[in-house]
Amino acid sequence: LTAGNKIFRFGACRVSVSATEIRSGFTAIKSNIQARDPIRTLSILSYPHSLHKVKSSDRCCVAHHLFNFYVDRVFKHCKTEDSYVNRKISSIANSFLSVKRKLGQCHEQNKCTCGQESTEKFKQILANYEGLNVTSAAIKSLGELDILLDWM
Amino acid sequence: EDALLPAPLNISIISTNMKHFLTWSPVIVQGETVRYSVQFQGEYEREYANESWIPICECSFITTTVCNITEDISATVAYNLRVRADVGARRSKWGTLKGFFNRITTSLTPPLMKVIADGYHLLVELEDMGPAFQFCVFYWKKGQENRMQQKVVKEVSSVVHLDTMEEGPDYCAKAQTYVEVINRSSDFSQTQCVRAQGGRSVWL
Repeated sequence: LTAGNKIFRFGACRVSVSATEIRSGFTAIKSNIQARDPIRTLSILSYPHSLHKVKSSDRCCVAHHLFNFYVDRVFKHCKTEDSYVNRKISSIANSFLSVKRKLGQCHEQNKCTCGQESTEKFKQILANYEGLNVTSAAIKSLGELDILLDWM
Repeated sequence: EDALLPAPLNISIISTNMKHFLTWSPVIVQGETVRYSVQFQGEYEREYANESWIPICECSFITTTVCNITEDISATVAYNLRVRADVGARRSKWGTLKGFFNRITTSLTPPLMKVIADGYHLLVELEDMGPAFQFCVFYWKKGQENRMQQKVVKEVSSVVHLDTMEEGPDYCAKAQTYVEVINRSSDFSQTQCVRAQGGRSVWL
């Protein structure tokens, strides 16, 4: 297992992501986080449609929105009483911050344009998120990180 | 009132091959055991989480003056680190690392490498340096440096087969490490040459 980077290609936008590090950080706390999410029938990222239905031309914009969403709105509401879990969340959050910046650069260089569908998809994710109280929504979103990583 | 406990000084990072250690000078209090606690803060905490600090429990109330922070420095962003001292009920202010630490500045040393001629097979043994490391091995027939070949080794297994040798000429190899998450390589190891002689390993 190498703590390898992956180069994600979203059209003209190329972003290197230390995917293995993020995934191993998440795997270390996944069961702890998901155990804190009592509402298993609802999904933030996959309702009503899976991320896999996003057209390839919209993938960059959706990824850009999602990394902003996690950095700006999710991680800060995930503080727990468990120091180990908090440390892993910090590691994931700082890795997401790196990726958010790179996707932001692509967006500024017009390599990450947003179509109607990607905007709609992200609106739906926000609606799912805002349909719950903020802590539950943040913990659920964090618990769904593997959905995002698998989609990427 | 007890004299205020001085904050730890000379706080610095020793980072080699993606292993990162925080060190500081001891706080001296005659006849007392001084204990230290370490916290870190990533760029995310500074910009999105009210500049919060995160304790490293393995380095809470320790008596040594070194802390392995490798597991917590797990993103390529700028980190802040701080240490404070405790003696009984007395507690010092925080001593903070001057400047930030980003793992991209870790020093990368050439890998330990052993080139082996196993009969006509040119093999190389590489040191396992952890999951962040890949290796680039260059090998060539002595005198034909212009026809150097390269093999990228992503995961260190026991021995890596490079080539099948002809009898007679020397074969040489050298290696460097590559760390993908910081996109940097080490210097090359020393070149080592071997020669195949009908199944007997020969070292030059």
